[in-house]
Amino acid sequence: MIIRLVSAALVAGFLAAVVATGLQLALTSPLIIAAERYESGEATAPAAHWMPRDASPASLIIRAHSSHEHGGKTEGVEGGEVAPAWQPGPGLPRMAFTALATLVGGVGYALLLGAALIACGREPNPEIGLRFAIAGFLAVALAPALGLPPELPGMEAAPLAERQFWWIMTAAATAMGLYLIAIRRSSIAIAGGIVLLVAPHLAGAPETSHTASALPPGYAAQFAARSLGIAFVFWAVIGLAFGWAWNSFGRKIAVASRA
Amino acid sequence: MTTNTLVLTGIRSNERLGAVLMAAFLGLGLVFMAGFAPAMALHNAAHDFRHAQNFPCH
Repeated sequence: MIIRLVSAALVAGFLAAVVATGLQLALTSPLIIAAERYESGEATAPAAHWMPRDASPASLIIRAHSSHEHGGKTEGVEGGEVAPAWQPGPGLPRMAFTALATLVGGVGYALLLGAALIACGREPNPEIGLRFAIAGFLAVALAPALGLPPELPGMEAAPLAERQFWWIMTAAATAMGLYLIAIRRSSIAIAGGIVLLVAPHLAGAPETSHTASALPPGYAAQFAARSLGIAFVFWAVIGLAFGWAWNSFGRKIAVASRA
Repeated sequence: MTTNTLVLTGIRSNERLGAVLMAAFLGLGLVFMAGFAPAMALHNAAHDFRHAQNFPCH
């Protein structure tokens, strides 16, 4: 069973990654690259763009990160001076690593989806896969995005650890709440599920920044909408493909054992 | 007969539990690697994916 689950997850993760990578390269990556130009200050003050970063308390992480941002465009000018962390080169290598990360994430999500399906005692098929995938989208994309909207590089925000903690708590609570509401279905479970869905938002996400930025607001709004759209497609393909692949691997196993 | 089916379902639910735990462990590991791992090289490689999928970044 574990082999069938992992095989189906690999297929689903791969198909979803192909679709999502195409969408990311077409829709979100251009916005990220455009935003990096504002983050590095190239669009406003070309000479002094690393100065404010240096003064920041979290300078270690941010400086390394921003050196990566520079690497995208001014490679060789600053790469030797500032914390030289490895980064993919601009253009094709960067796209390739985005694709690779999408593949790793897609297979990871597909494995989690498969684990949830089996743990809930469902026999996977495309329809049930899609239902669980929608729950997955709600848990890891929509619910965290309500408190922490998808951000472009250069949008100042609360410390990373706080945001990651809130993100994980929200995703886990939303997943648990959806499970109680959609699968347990007793009135107590539904009440508990609603509490779990609402609690992270009552507790409140780490504050987003209110400082003005040179980044045009249109970019940020477009990015948030596109990001959620891509996440939905990503999950839908994972769910549909997992159900399909699970059944086609099952058929092969059945045929092989009969022979 | 009864013992047989009991043993069979026992094995099957054990197998199921093992598969669920294994897949959950692997899946969490992969998602952590793609979305949260603090190593700078991993962060830079997955940067655009993290932003697009709304993982907290920077």
